[in-house]
Amino acid sequence: MQQYLVESLKALQDHLSRARQFYQVVEAAPGDAHWQHIIPPAYPPLSAQKPQSSAKSFFFAEQEPLYVFDGQFFRETLPSPEPFVLFGVQSCDLTAIHYQDLFFEQDVYYQARRRQALLVGIDCVHPCAQGFCYLVNAGPGVRDETADLILHPLEDNQWLLVVVTAQGKEAIQGVALTPASAQEMNQRWEQLSHCEQEFDDHSYITEGVERLNRGEVSDALWQRIGVQCLACSGCTTLCPTCSCYGTQSQPFVSGDGEPVAKAVEVSGTLIKEDSGAAPNTEQPATQQVRFWDSCLYEGFQREASFNNPSAQAGERVKRFWYHKFSDDFLPEFGRYGCVGCGRCEQVCPGVIGVHSVMKRIVDDA
Amino acid sequence: MHNLTPSAIELVDFYDDGEQARHFQFRLLDGAVSASADPALTEPTLTKQDTGWQKVQIGQFFMLNVPGVGEAPFTFTQMPDEQGHFRALVRQMGAVTTALFGLQPGQILGARGPYGIGWPMNEISGKRILVVGGGCGLAPLVGVVDHLVEQQNYTQLTVVYGARSQQAKMLNPERERWQQFIPVFNMIENGDLNGDENEYHGRPIDIMPTVLDSFGELPDVVLLAGPQVMMFGMADYLVASGVYDHAIYLSIERRMHCGLGTCGHCYLKHQYICTDGPTFRWDVLQPYLPEDH
Ligand SMILES: Cc1cc2nc3c(=O)[nH]c(=O)nc-3n(C[C@H](O)[C@H](O)[C@H](O)COP(=O)(O)OP(=O)(O)OC[C@H]3O[C@@H](n4cnc5c(N)ncnc54)[C@H](O)[C@@H]3O)c2cc1C
Ligand code: SF4
Ligand code: SF4
Ligand code: FES
Repeated sequence: MQQYLVESLKALQDHLSRARQFYQVVEAAPGDAHWQHIIPPAYPPLSAQKPQSSAKSFFFAEQEPLYVFDGQFFRETLPSPEPFVLFGVQSCDLTAIHYQDLFFEQDVYYQARRRQALLVGIDCVHPCAQGFCYLVNAGPGVRDETADLILHPLEDNQWLLVVVTAQGKEAIQGVALTPASAQEMNQRWEQLSHCEQEFDDHSYITEGVERLNRGEVSDALWQRIGVQCLACSGCTTLCPTCSCYGTQSQPFVSGDGEPVAKAVEVSGTLIKEDSGAAPNTEQPATQQVRFWDSCLYEGFQREASFNNPSAQAGERVKRFWYHKFSDDFLPEFGRYGCVGCGRCEQVCPGVIGVHSVMKRIVDDA
Repeated sequence: MHNLTPSAIELVDFYDDGEQARHFQFRLLDGAVSASADPALTEPTLTKQDTGWQKVQIGQFFMLNVPGVGEAPFTFTQMPDEQGHFRALVRQMGAVTTALFGLQPGQILGARGPYGIGWPMNEISGKRILVVGGGCGLAPLVGVVDHLVEQQNYTQLTVVYGARSQQAKMLNPERERWQQFIPVFNMIENGDLNGDENEYHGRPIDIMPTVLDSFGELPDVVLLAGPQVMMFGMADYLVASGVYDHAIYLSIERRMHCGLGTCGHCYLKHQYICTDGPTFRWDVLQPYLPEDH
């Protein structure tokens, strides 16, 4: 892998934004950082701050149409974003993208966006609040398989740039860069290992996960935890690996905001002569949308008969943590569903984020 | 790649079949549109999809789309034939099914699929087979019984059907057809019997001693579909009676939105019923169930 010294971040940003929409994390206030579309050359300082929301919605949209029905045909509505770059994604969030790449491998909507993205990772040199990425092989240093390019902060506002993929290599072609010295490259590993030492002791997470996998967490404890869940969906929304969605039919609204009242006339030859089926011009066009859902909602599994396999709050919370930490998912994904970002703890108004839950599992033993 | 966009189908006809249940016939229309549509709804590009509609396995399901209302999963009671005709028995439950019951022949709807893993026809054919269906749960079994009866591909075949009441019985034409060839036991839980000699009071499990006796030895394969309580109770009973747990197959129901293993709704442990099922072998399924199933 080629590694370079970047003396002017701006030159790199300018170059990458030439053929791409440019996104970077903006730190509005301490503790308030979020992804934002940047119009060059107004690049904000490259923030080491973990954004409140991960980059999940760039690929798996919070809400999106799947197809439109015009009275006669169902037309797939694939997104077609311009190429874009996410500049400065932390390792935990990159690992989550990598995980979702696998989960949504066959999903045309996800992949249509994902194909357009260039991922520039950023190493963390200090632990973030509530993070424990090092425990679940998701940070603080960016994992090679998860990014196209990796940035690592050196002294004096200089950056080490690691070129990981062919796409990354192509993207920086034409930028004047100095090959990095062995010392600079070593500095990366030193700083990362130093960062790992700085994390708090999270052995209760290791122990909690072991207990969970040995089936030692009682249903009574899950139920005690579950009743404290407000089903606000804060954790499932912010969790970078959560992927559940619901679907719904809605009236189709055209680009100018007007409901499309009449089905468009479509050539009759598209339907077999003998079908006798004509477009229904009375019926307004409709669209099927999907939107983020949450397995913590009471109705997530409720069937039309009102039978509900996960009617108990405890069952739902148990499910959430099983999905994040069960060995049962390892053969398929090669890792746990949790990337250790700590957002569920930060957002939870109850006390059922990852740290709280794992401590309770350990204390309950 | 997964395709979430339905093919256009036409509602061909229907007849009432049991309480709040209808047997529908649909027909796939040629030339489903799958090209990317721009929001202005311009002329669609026609791409004929290879959706696998001609290769539906017995026991698979499809997602029916009632435009403007939503999608819901249904079993095929008749697999698509060469002209694209297929059938499904639908019980009126909520939004989608109620809207469907308000439609007339000629209406265009959507369907995508086929999804899931069907019944293991190779394991079943030629054997001594017991089929037990409860209520609407007989629907996923119709294709199997029809197929076996048509092909006469069994050593013994017995159907046990359970309904809450005389009025709630579904799939009457199918059972009447079968009983000309094979034993059919109709179990009515509440109310009067209609006087037929193959109709009995009680639940399917109540007739099991008689049914198992009729097999001489135990059945080689058992297929179960219906309310979960009924299926699990029956499976436990059969295993206690000596039937191998790996000789019992069930069809599981869960709320579904995608049918493709990505929406998450139909989870059971690390399995998704829509892709790992809906049919499961009992010995495979059991470890995924809560202990007090
Ligand atoms: C594999 C499979 C095969 C099925 N086959 C048949 C059949 O042949 N005949 C039949 O009458 N019924 C069948 N069902 C049940 C049928 O899908 C539900 O009765 C139907 O979804 C109710 O939809 P609704 O919109 O009327 O109800 P609502 O309560 O309004 O449901 C709203 C939405 O929730 C989802 N949903 C609710 N309940 C269920 C459920 N039980 N299963 C799946 N999704 C649900 C659907 O997306 C539905 O559109 C089957 C279910 C599954 C999982
Ligand atoms: S969890 Fe680790 S990788 Fe993620 S922001 Fe915190 S320190 Fe960085
Ligand atoms: S479970 Fe919590 S800590 Fe783990 S990835 Fe999700 S939000 Fe982050
Ligand atoms: S129906 Fe979506 S995962 Fe099974």
